[in-house]
Amino acid sequence: MSGDGALYRLDAADGECVVCLAGDWGRAERLPSAAGIHRDMGQPQAVVIDGSDLASGHPRVAAFVHALHHELDAAGVSVTERALPQNVDALVALASPPPAAVRQTQRKPRFLASLGARFQNQVRISQDAAALVGQALARTPALVTGRAQTRWRDFVDLVRETGAASLPVVTVVNLLIGAVLGFIGAVQLATFGAGMYLADLVGIASAREMAAIMTAFIMAGRIGATFAAHLATMESNEEIDALRMIGVSPFEFLALPRLAALTLMMPLLYLYGTALAIVGGMVVAHIVLGTPPIAFIERLQDAVAFRQFVIGLIKSVAFGILIALTSCYIGLHAGRNAAEVGRAATRTVVVCIIGIISIDAVAALCTNALGI
Amino acid sequence: MAELNPDAPMPEKGLVVRGLRMAFGDTVVQHDLSFYVAPANIFVIMGVSGCGKSTLLRHIIDLQRSDVGDICFDGQRLINDDPAERAMLQSRIGVLFQSTALWSSMTVGENVALPMQLHTQLRPPEIRDQVAFKLALVGLAGQESKMPSELSGGMQKRAGLARAIALDPDYLFLDEPSAGLDPITSQRLDALIMRLRDALGVSVIAVSHELPSIFTIADDSIYLDNESKTAIAHGNPRELVENTPEPRVRAFLKREPIDEPARESA
Ligand SMILES: Nc1ncnc2c1ncn2[C@@H]1O[C@H](COP(=O)(O)OP(=O)(O)O)[C@@H](O)[C@H]1O
Ligand SMILES: [Mg+2]
Repeated sequence: MSGDGALYRLDAADGECVVCLAGDWGRAERLPSAAGIHRDMGQPQAVVIDGSDLASGHPRVAAFVHALHHELDAAGVSVTERALPQNVDALVALASPPPAAVRQTQRKPRFLASLGARFQNQVRISQDAAALVGQALARTPALVTGRAQTRWRDFVDLVRETGAASLPVVTVVNLLIGAVLGFIGAVQLATFGAGMYLADLVGIASAREMAAIMTAFIMAGRIGATFAAHLATMESNEEIDALRMIGVSPFEFLALPRLAALTLMMPLLYLYGTALAIVGGMVVAHIVLGTPPIAFIERLQDAVAFRQFVIGLIKSVAFGILIALTSCYIGLHAGRNAAEVGRAATRTVVVCIIGIISIDAVAALCTNALGI
Repeated sequence: MAELNPDAPMPEKGLVVRGLRMAFGDTVVQHDLSFYVAPANIFVIMGVSGCGKSTLLRHIIDLQRSDVGDICFDGQRLINDDPAERAMLQSRIGVLFQSTALWSSMTVGENVALPMQLHTQLRPPEIRDQVAFKLALVGLAGQESKMPSELSGGMQKRAGLARAIALDPDYLFLDEPSAGLDPITSQRLDALIMRLRDALGVSVIAVSHELPSIFTIADDSIYLDNESKTAIAHGNPRELVENTPEPRVRAFLKREPIDEPARESA
């Protein structure tokens, strides 16, 4: 059997398997994996790793020998090495774990095995074991992920951070804003006997302006500042330099997922915020003016045109882009020291607030000129 | 031999720095730096802190640029705007930064794996073998799933080194690799650096303060002087310590007080 451009050959006889390594491992595009070879060799009692046909003592050979050793040791197969290049021998020896590390690597399979046994025996899983499984699952190294997957997972984390984690504060602020609009409207409209129009006021104000703006302010303070501080910290730790050194564009790797997450979540949060602001106004209308919620909602359906939501949605997308780009830009361009981290966060919030108000003012001018 | 004849033709192999001047705005950090790092040599950059050692490394790997001077790897400039050639050169360079620079949102294993995912065609199980081996080499076997923040300072340094050698580079840049390590780990690290040099013919350019380490590993060195703002000593530190005429270099290498005439403070 041979494979991977003849980088190895398996010769099995009498329960002994010889793994002959060959060729130039340094230049090979693909390498054999220890787990794959272990599968291919069946169930030998002893394994010999032979290096006499190798073209060079590349460290990749040592990595393979090390991994195969581990793999077979765990399976209780004896391994001997023969005619490995001196460098490879030396590197493998250097990598052989000192006693402490051996204990560490042995503990893991034992833990997993005992866990499996517990499942098999239908023994009640204790709470802390469940917690351990959860931890293990969350931390299992996703070594298997490609570059795109790494970013995909970053993106999922970011969506959680910007979306779900922002819900409580978005809820509170929009409910209260709706209630405040309700109070102002109720008192003023009631003096003209026009209390029934409160739904118009609360609905249009929230859908068109307040929910989008308040949500954007919250996100600037919560997420914009976090992004900027995080990226600035990465810059001061030379993490961004390390990315550049392996040819990764910091923008693609760090800014794009943040941009995508915020641009996706802002309109959703806006819709959610609008709904809550209207609920806030509705509660106040019921308490102050005695308007039944059903009547309030019926009035709302007549009063608030679909385009009000469209205007709010478009603005919230613009705010999301603004916050993401501002925070990433400021974070990536912060100086390389700790004081810059705080400064980057503060500057992001200030720039975002000014930007949000400016975008809103321009939008008001445009919608006014268009008569919508 | 570190000194470089400015008129000599560019060597085909090795790292050449010629006439480099480094500055932040108008503040010159170092000027007139010229040296040559031969293939498979361990070259140590010495000097008191703040003299510009890290800045020199950052210039060589093109994270900072200077208008004055030349830097060539194997006769090729890294400052090169063809992306494919740049990527090719970058994959031949490994860097351990002074502040370690592990990517804090990824596990140690992912940190070591990312360069391989980007620069090689290796598949996940092969990458896993390579990562396990690189971590075992630096004495961190089985720590793949730890986050960088869960490691001690010395362990972070070693994880950073594992990432730096992920691609089996031709040039390895180490900014104070043994700072913060205990003597035993530090010795292991020295052995590892020399082993890698022997195994792969990697050229190592290291910034170091640790005298035992300098005397063990260095084939060649340069001393950057804080006062004259240039290199005042070149050569093997074991020879420099015996016969350098420069009091500040002797003071550094022998830990002896500087016996030069006391200067009047302004
Ligand atoms: N971003 C920067 N802006 C201005 N001066 C800097 C900057 N980074 C470093 N310096 C200065 O350059 C000099 C050399 O710094 P560095 O190369 O980090 O020294 P070291 O030899 O300790 O590694 C120091 O005096 C430092 O103050
Ligand atoms: Mg430094």
